[in-house]
Amino acid sequence: MKNFSRFTLLSLLFLYLFFGNCIVGNFSSVYAQDDWKQEYSSVCAKTQNAMILTPEELKSYIDRCDKLLALINELEGEQAATEKKVYTKRVKMCRELYQFALEYKEHK
Amino acid sequence: MKKAIFTTTLLFAIIGIAFAQNGVKKKRPLPFDFGRVVINNYSEASHIAPVVFDHWLHRAKFTCRLCHVDIGFAMKAGATDIKARDNINGYYCGTCHDGTRRVFADTLMFSSCKEEFAQKDETCDRCHSSGKNVKKKYDFREFVKGWPRERFGNGVNWEKAEERELIIPYDYIEGVSIKREKLIAQQDFKIAPKVEGMPDIIFSHEKHTLWNGCELCHPEIFTGIKKGLTKYSMLDIYEGKYCGVCHINVAFPLLDCQRCHTEKVQ
Repeated sequence: MKNFSRFTLLSLLFLYLFFGNCIVGNFSSVYAQDDWKQEYSSVCAKTQNAMILTPEELKSYIDRCDKLLALINELEGEQAATEKKVYTKRVKMCRELYQFALEYKEHK
Repeated sequence: MKKAIFTTTLLFAIIGIAFAQNGVKKKRPLPFDFGRVVINNYSEASHIAPVVFDHWLHRAKFTCRLCHVDIGFAMKAGATDIKARDNINGYYCGTCHDGTRRVFADTLMFSSCKEEFAQKDETCDRCHSSGKNVKKKYDFREFVKGWPRERFGNGVNWEKAEERELIIPYDYIEGVSIKREKLIAQQDFKIAPKVEGMPDIIFSHEKHTLWNGCELCHPEIFTGIKKGLTKYSMLDIYEGKYCGVCHINVAFPLLDCQRCHTEKVQ
């Protein structure tokens, strides 16, 4: 009985590690494709209020924009050419606005 | 002698009329032509008519920002470098013109640049219509009938049309636009004109940001971080820079001086 339980537990652990990892891995890869889009939505959501952000916040957003641009530049796949063109422009627009607001604040 | 004088006068008259018709004076576009953009990056090379885009039809339903920020259309005709593949992928025109979205009294939007379209498909003609006699679905005069009038441009006062809720431009498309916080408009300010006697320009941030947001103008069009830092003249504006980016082709044109030079001379 004891051996059986140990066997069951080990089997369950094996199943969890093998299939669980596969499932989690699959979800991760699906989401990974859209991770950068979520980051885009998050990083460019503050453009309306760029002028009330602190210089530190603005610097952080600019840094995130730069990282995002690098990610977009590495996109591959069927839609990559279009996505690169569209999102590079969109991210650059918000990055440049944050830079503009930062310069305004630093020269104030 | 009389014959020679008559011939010379006639010749000058003909030349004068010819110049007046063609090139010396720039012809003012008709109300339905104002804001019309012809896009021909790849069309003719692909043996299809260039695209004719009417701003009046689109601005009646969408804010400037929706198309020029969220969708990513450049502010200059042809600068977006749109390819049919981009539309097929669901970007640019294909963002809305995907055959599933409904706008204009719940009308289903036609698809743009579908792979199954033959080049002579009449759906193609709805956009690729330059040089063709295509009957447009929306007639300008019918469309703007009863709307507040304006002297120049489209002959429509778009600002008043929105105030009266004749137009309610969309500013958000699910899956395309970002959910933004409420905009905090910057203060309005005065700009002193260079010509003596001209009234001051009152620039309203609130009016501009309502349709444009911030990033459409800053820093691409107005780079100066401080009021007065960006120096420009009416000549620059007439060349399509600064205010002229919009106020030549789409927004009320520069001929309408008192729309900007609003303050009374002190």
